[in-house]
Amino acid sequence: MHPAPAPLDCAQTDAELNSILPAMNRLALRMLFGDHAKYLMLISGITFAVILMAQGTSLFCGLMSWTFAPLRNIRVPVWVADPKVEQVNDNKPLRDTDVNRVRSVEGVAWAVPLYQGTTQAKLADGSAKLITLTGLDATTLIGAPTEFLAGGIDGLRLPNAVIIDEYGAERLSDGLGRRLGVGDTFEINDREARIVGVCKAARSFTGGPFVFTTYERAVEYVPSQRKLLTFVLAAPAAGIEPQELAHRIAAATSLAAYTNDEFMWSTVWWYVKNTGIPINVGLIVGIGFIIGTVISGQTFYSFVLENLRNLGALKAMGASTAILCRMLVLQAFSVGLVGYGLGMGVVSLIGRAAIKTGRVPFLMIWPIPVGVLAAVLFICALASVLGIIKVARLDPAIVFRS
Amino acid sequence: MAAPLAPLAPLPAPLALQLTGLDKAFGPPDSRTVALNQADFDARLGELMMLVGPSGCGKTTLLSILTGTLHADAGESNVLGHRLGTLSQAELTRFRREHIGFIFQDFNLIATLSVWENVAVPLLIQGCGRREAEGRARAILAQVGLKGREDEPPKRLSGGQQQRIAIARALVHAPTLIVCDEPTSALDSRTGQQVMELLTSFARDPRRCVIVVSHDPRIYRYADRMAEMEDGRITRVLATPAAIAAAHPSI
Ligand SMILES: Nc1ncnc2c1ncn2[C@@H]1O[C@H](COP(=O)(O)OP(=O)(O)O)[C@@H](O)[C@H]1O
Ligand SMILES: [Mg+2]
Repeated sequence: MHPAPAPLDCAQTDAELNSILPAMNRLALRMLFGDHAKYLMLISGITFAVILMAQGTSLFCGLMSWTFAPLRNIRVPVWVADPKVEQVNDNKPLRDTDVNRVRSVEGVAWAVPLYQGTTQAKLADGSAKLITLTGLDATTLIGAPTEFLAGGIDGLRLPNAVIIDEYGAERLSDGLGRRLGVGDTFEINDREARIVGVCKAARSFTGGPFVFTTYERAVEYVPSQRKLLTFVLAAPAAGIEPQELAHRIAAATSLAAYTNDEFMWSTVWWYVKNTGIPINVGLIVGIGFIIGTVISGQTFYSFVLENLRNLGALKAMGASTAILCRMLVLQAFSVGLVGYGLGMGVVSLIGRAAIKTGRVPFLMIWPIPVGVLAAVLFICALASVLGIIKVARLDPAIVFRS
Repeated sequence: MAAPLAPLAPLPAPLALQLTGLDKAFGPPDSRTVALNQADFDARLGELMMLVGPSGCGKTTLLSILTGTLHADAGESNVLGHRLGTLSQAELTRFRREHIGFIFQDFNLIATLSVWENVAVPLLIQGCGRREAEGRARAILAQVGLKGREDEPPKRLSGGQQQRIAIARALVHAPTLIVCDEPTSALDSRTGQQVMELLTSFARDPRRCVIVVSHDPRIYRYADRMAEMEDGRITRVLATPAAIAAAHPSI
């Protein structure tokens, strides 16, 4: 006869059981990982959804950051523009006298003119390319680039001098066979532009490189128009907030005056309202979310269904519904978090590549990983709830039926 | 002065369970299937009680009720001192966890767990630490002759070996009541006999009661007592192996 097993010295109440179930959790994970094919399927559903959602939103933010590139290049406290201007790429010229009107507003420490407009550059091989020409106040050079790859700001006072951005050095070199550098020339509206510096600058939405020069020279470069002053840049005297100054300028001149931040958001909103970008990105993100929900929810649900007999056996053997549900939740969320990690990994690789080329918009601000995580957790919660409904209704007697 | 006691006939072993007047029907009112109709059943500690009858007569339903996995529509079920009809769902769950060992017709092993993990499941459900559970699982696997196979997936073992895993799982937490629903029907005759021999050896423990449901006459000879069932009720109880042999001469 076999010796009877020793009496059990295990915790017995449900409260105790709940606190000592790491072993059951481990069992849940073993049940999950055991089926490699299904596990991979579950993970890839979430991963795919994460990639679509995170990539879509990062692309959107990247594009949006391109729209306010001038605001990233020129960081001044207050921008003054025509009252109808809502975004920084718009060009509705002011009168030249508006600079002085702004200067006369109380609390203005300084105010300088800025020209900004798109025009054509003629390259070495005779072809033409779009550029964004920025004309800076010659005496102060306020808003000039600060980070140079070659040359520098000082040369800008020389005749015909321009500073181009890194992207322009490549983009405007057609027919040259190499990147443009200091000393090279090209033409803007039949006038020579001599490069005295190559700087770093944010990528513009219009696609053209930035070319910086002085305000006076910019005015010479562009085909003659009556009014050319695009913006007045201003700063508050000590003790005055930029926002307060913007209010004062707007009140005194009835021009539009924005702080850098206000102008950025105004620009972003303008593009959101006036382009199809948000709809397209919204579609990508929505599709990612739906695919993630459907694939992962469906796969997890079928995982639960296939395991129903096992779950029923566990229930018959005395596993409470609460414990089985916890096992399901653990399974769903571990799939979700692994998928999230993989997906974000892939997206950050894509992002790195995108940022390196500079041609693909990509900007991952912190709400993106947080939001995508929230979406993944929602998908997991939904999948667990589906499974839990099934398990709660599960009749342990099914294990007796073959 | 009292006279010395004359030797008495041995007392019958105490009852492990007693079911009386059980009714159970399935399905909607207009098309009800009666599974149990005034069924009475009992089993004693230290015996292997066999429940036999044709397919569909209600054996599995009876087993489900006495293990606390299914509620009877009417009747009394007293199992190991518990009146199952009065227990809450949570109490029934705990009752099964502590007192019942299950052996199913198609083993119901979890394919993605190793052999020893399958056996350890009842211990883990009770909150036993993984270490201790593993030790006990390995010890009981050695008792059922599966030493050396503990870390394999169950699918790699033969049908008879898989049923041994199930037996080990049913015994590992030392339950009082071990219920087996057609434990040999998925096995060939010889393997079935081996499994029954193993089960009988465990049933000899006076603290244990083994109930085997079957409609396979080849294993009737392993029963200490036998209840015959037909159309949802117990029609006859054969109280000794001799009576069983007389009633079923084919064995
Ligand atoms: N869950 C259920 N739903 C409907 N009918 C059931 C259910 N379980 C059992 N039955 C019916 O009850 C009767 C008895 O079934 P069962 O107890 O499984 O018999 P046995 O195990 O003796 O073959 C059968 O007619 C069966 O179809
Ligand atoms: Mg049956």
